[in-house]
Amino acid sequence: MSPAVGIAAFVLVSVATAVVGFYGLRISRTTGDFYVASRTVRPWWNASAIGGEYLSAASFLGVAGLILLSGTDALWFPVGYTAGYLMLLLFVAAPLRRSGAYTIPDFTEARLESRAVRRVTSLVVVAVGWLYIVPQLHGAALTLRITTGLPSWLGSLAVVSVVCLTVVAGGMRSITFVQAFQYWLKLTALAVPVVFVLLSLAGNNTPPVADAALNPTSLPTAGAYQNISLMVALLFGTLGLPHVLVRFYTNPDGSSARRTTLIVLGLLSVFYLFPTVSGLVGRVFAPELADGGRADALVLLLPGRLVGGPAGELLSALVVAGAFAAFLSTTSGLVVSLAGVISQDVLGGSVAGFRLAAVLAAVVPFGFSLASDSLALAGSVGLVFAFTASTICPALLLGIWWRGLTDAGAIAGMATGALLCGGAMVTGTVMGSTTPGWLAQPAAWTVPAAFGVMVLVSRATKRRVPASVTRIMTRLHVPERKLATERTFVPGTSGR
Amino acid sequence: MTRVRVTAPRTAARPTPRLSASSPALESEVGQVYVRSLIRSQLRLAVVVACGFLVVLTACGLLIGLVPGIAEAELLGVPFAWLLLGAGLYPVIGLSAWLYNRAAARNEARYRDLAQDG
Repeated sequence: MSPAVGIAAFVLVSVATAVVGFYGLRISRTTGDFYVASRTVRPWWNASAIGGEYLSAASFLGVAGLILLSGTDALWFPVGYTAGYLMLLLFVAAPLRRSGAYTIPDFTEARLESRAVRRVTSLVVVAVGWLYIVPQLHGAALTLRITTGLPSWLGSLAVVSVVCLTVVAGGMRSITFVQAFQYWLKLTALAVPVVFVLLSLAGNNTPPVADAALNPTSLPTAGAYQNISLMVALLFGTLGLPHVLVRFYTNPDGSSARRTTLIVLGLLSVFYLFPTVSGLVGRVFAPELADGGRADALVLLLPGRLVGGPAGELLSALVVAGAFAAFLSTTSGLVVSLAGVISQDVLGGSVAGFRLAAVLAAVVPFGFSLASDSLALAGSVGLVFAFTASTICPALLLGIWWRGLTDAGAIAGMATGALLCGGAMVTGTVMGSTTPGWLAQPAAWTVPAAFGVMVLVSRATKRRVPASVTRIMTRLHVPERKLATERTFVPGTSGR
Repeated sequence: MTRVRVTAPRTAARPTPRLSASSPALESEVGQVYVRSLIRSQLRLAVVVACGFLVVLTACGLLIGLVPGIAEAELLGVPFAWLLLGAGLYPVIGLSAWLYNRAAARNEARYRDLAQDG
């Protein structure tokens, strides 16, 4: 592929992102706008935005790459990424929207009446966000290197710069429009090339090169434990992702939060069909793309490889644009939610503080990404899910559904999950390919451990159950009055 | 829309927002009984739907892993395992979500009726 195509695609996406972002700027006025777009976003817009934000480098590049490498074992990834939203719908969506909190630390503090819980939650949220941004930047680095031959770090730097600019300029209101736009861009950028590749395969009667059941790099198949543990991580990790949760506050009420989630499930299901087809086509018709650690670039290379000619170039440009949309949207979503947490807890909560925090939230993982090597994208994002499933997920689930949760229990449980899962991640990184399965996929034991410790310590500290628990549980679960107006939720008026 | 001064949405001492729309639920003991039963029924519903989905998921995994030859059997030129895991599970997820939404809304409607009468 000629370098100009890649660069042009990136510039186009960045400009389009900025234009949509600045269009949104004109209606972004108050701090409320900055954080949650004043909670006036319609379900379809909001669902597209959630999809746009959620479909990261791991979904756009990583899923197809992993399917190329490990076949049906990798199909559990997109299923888990989607089913995670089912769990979110069942256990979290409506109550969390009704909590009236802006961020996860806001929620845990209000629920448990404890500043200490707030601080611990904030630490975990920032850790999760940074861990999740790093693979996005690795994806950007890989894409830029493969498509243009430019040095990898330039790709990461470009993404960080564009994200900082849009977030600092527009806040969440414009982010919602940008994200919604980027879902449809990503879907188009994956679907159109796949359709053309299939047409050209059928038209040329291309014979299959390899058997779909054989792994091209003779990677061993994953055992049952690996797959189960992965599903635990993905199912329970999604509902703890900070950038996903903050989106739910932009629904007007609890039942529209549920409607939005249902639409999101549809959008994700449609999206994941395409990386799956790409992966299968790659396995059967172009297994050599798995060599040399560039499997994650499969969707970028497939059109040039199987369609070829000017049409192949054009389709490649479209995929590159979609890939950058994926890095930009997920990174900016994470940066917004991290900036919300950092600015409220460290910088006093002003708009200027939010801007400074946004830059901080983006620059630190940029440093990490330069210092670390790119792993398989879907795998490294999968580990972040394991981490949220072992920390934020138990605190949210028990906080929403169990009156007995105490601040001491929540802190002990989150600390246990963070230490066990973080420890497994670090050990796994040090040991590399010799890591045993139970350490490589830790969720199956770290998640129950975190839940267990949270329940046991809460039981032991019964007297610390906050007096407000009845009031808050009522607020979380009782449906809003049918004609409730936005005015009810304006910060500063409802609390006095 | 009136202009709002740009301030922090929360301060260190911000009290949790008071219930305004549903305060009757708090004031009477009967109200609390209704709330508790609403929470229980919503939790039961969520757990039932989640378990149902997990059973389907496990069954698919077992089917592919344990029934010999079924993963490779071709349907419309695509191996069965790919069809099942790559496309077949998504409608199950969507259907579970749709059924849950309807049932959850019904629980809430029932609560509203009770709370208004009581």
